[in-house]
Amino acid sequence: METTRDSLWKQIWKQRWFHVFVLAGVLFLFIFNYLPMAGIIIAFKNYRLSGGVMGMFTSEWVGLKHFRDFFRDPMFGKLMVNTLALSLTKMVFLFPLPILLAIVFSETNSVKIKKTVQTVSYLPYFISWVIVAGFCTIFLSTSSGVINDFFKMTRGHPLNLLTGEQYFLPIAVITALWKETGWWTIIFLAAITSIDPGLYDAAKIDGASRLQRIRHITLTGMRPTITVVLILALGNLLGGGLSGSNFEQSYLLGNSANANTSQIIQVYVLQQGLAQGRYSYAAAAGIFQSLISIIMIFGSNFAAKKISGEGLF
Amino acid sequence: MKNRIRLTTEDRFVDAVVYITLALVFFLSLYPFYLAVVLSFNEGLDAQSGGIYFWPRKPSLENYSQLFSDTEWITAIFVSIARTVTGTAVTVLFTVLVAYGLSRRDLIGRKVYFNIIIFAMYFSGGIIPYYAILKQLHLLNNFLVYIVPGMLNIFYMLVSISFIQALPSELEDAARVDGAGDLRTLLHVVLPLSMPLLATIAIFTSVGHWNSWYDSAFFVTSKDKSYLHTLAYKLIEVVRRANIVTANAGADTATKIKATALSKQLAAMVVAVFPILAVYPFFQKYIVSGITLGAVKG
Repeated sequence: METTRDSLWKQIWKQRWFHVFVLAGVLFLFIFNYLPMAGIIIAFKNYRLSGGVMGMFTSEWVGLKHFRDFFRDPMFGKLMVNTLALSLTKMVFLFPLPILLAIVFSETNSVKIKKTVQTVSYLPYFISWVIVAGFCTIFLSTSSGVINDFFKMTRGHPLNLLTGEQYFLPIAVITALWKETGWWTIIFLAAITSIDPGLYDAAKIDGASRLQRIRHITLTGMRPTITVVLILALGNLLGGGLSGSNFEQSYLLGNSANANTSQIIQVYVLQQGLAQGRYSYAAAAGIFQSLISIIMIFGSNFAAKKISGEGLF
Repeated sequence: MKNRIRLTTEDRFVDAVVYITLALVFFLSLYPFYLAVVLSFNEGLDAQSGGIYFWPRKPSLENYSQLFSDTEWITAIFVSIARTVTGTAVTVLFTVLVAYGLSRRDLIGRKVYFNIIIFAMYFSGGIIPYYAILKQLHLLNNFLVYIVPGMLNIFYMLVSISFIQALPSELEDAARVDGAGDLRTLLHVVLPLSMPLLATIAIFTSVGHWNSWYDSAFFVTSKDKSYLHTLAYKLIEVVRRANIVTANAGADTATKIKATALSKQLAAMVVAVFPILAVYPFFQKYIVSGITLGAVKG
């Protein structure tokens, strides 16, 4: 016994630098990930920021009070509707487009054109949402915006795109499409590239037309990738699906005039918590959203397994 | 080759759809950038009347000269540069060091370490407790809030582990035979061989830093520390103020001031986008390889 324990310590001593590096990382995660995780108990307490980190654990328990308050909040219904509307609309429009664009790229005969356009298409992915919101401010402006120049020509008057509550959703969808489509196309295009080219030749000899080949070979070959990406996207449905940009859009494109449609749970959490100082209340609202997300992940995985026999876990 | 196969109507139709789509994607992806640049080089007041699509109507450098003579904006640009340079260096170094530690296959307790890390990748405590911890650590209203909380990127770390493990072990063994310790081996063998990896991580991290606004908006809130705000954050301020102005006023009463504020902001936006556009041709080849690096799980 004594000798084996000795050699274990000796072994660890031999690897000491490796342990030092890893432990530094673990310490970092303890502070910035695990402490906040433990800190979610403030949702069941009356927490004040002045209590510091220790206060998260010593403040008084109030049970589910903050959750009840959140469900009774006059904003609750609207926040839920807005969060779901934004998430679902974006999912419906954002998910199919990268798949279609990947097919378009794969059907391009000229490699040079394909590469150029593809490179350009994912450039917007690397631009901050702040810039996208800035572009919106300029291009959608009622007085001088390009987009409204178009509406002035066709309708005779500009539309209040930035402040009209009926325009928030379409603008959120279009900006997310602009920013993210090219990026997600990379993954679907990689899936197409890994399809055996012999299949296409064989189908051609059998007389399959181009659209038939796209449908039966390309789309079928992409199916596993589509399933995986779909599960990931559904898991993050409330965060904004593939692009995960609900917060940025609501915060940056939302304003007092379109708040009726633009305000979502995530932004409300920040306002109530950091601006109003209702930390426990905000934490409870945050937990509520996380719970829905977890149900979404397991639900979509279950559904995917039932339908296509493939799941993530 | 192609001429031998007769093109059917369907083939022509598909080709037409393909090339029209490509042209649209190309145009729509680039035009907003192009138009922003054009407008930023146009006189602010004149741009207010609209109608500029492809070329400045009244060319002017005034927006830029105003921007670069405003100390607030200059400070913000410097803060952004400082956080990008420091933050990228710190993140790349720390992430790769932890990855190096975990890349040793016979590391005692490796499984436990891995589980701790993977769990942290999937779960978080949300923004409110996180904020309390930043406050306790005196990171609020502190430049370090841009650097420290993002020091370790778990995703890049997993990528790094598989990269380091795929390095030829003969070189490391040779260094050890020559009497080099673990640190010397890391410094003189592993890091030099990992240059493509370091470059990829550095590129993605620096783009993230340059674009980041969230921490500046919510963790730097004290008035007397406003000089710590980043360029991206300054842009939000103007965007939100402009939206509120139009929301409340509707009519363009304060046109003169608004026009210059907005056109100056346009110049600032171009300045904010410029570094990304400038390095994009060089780093776009790392993008696809970066994604495939990520696909090879460790």
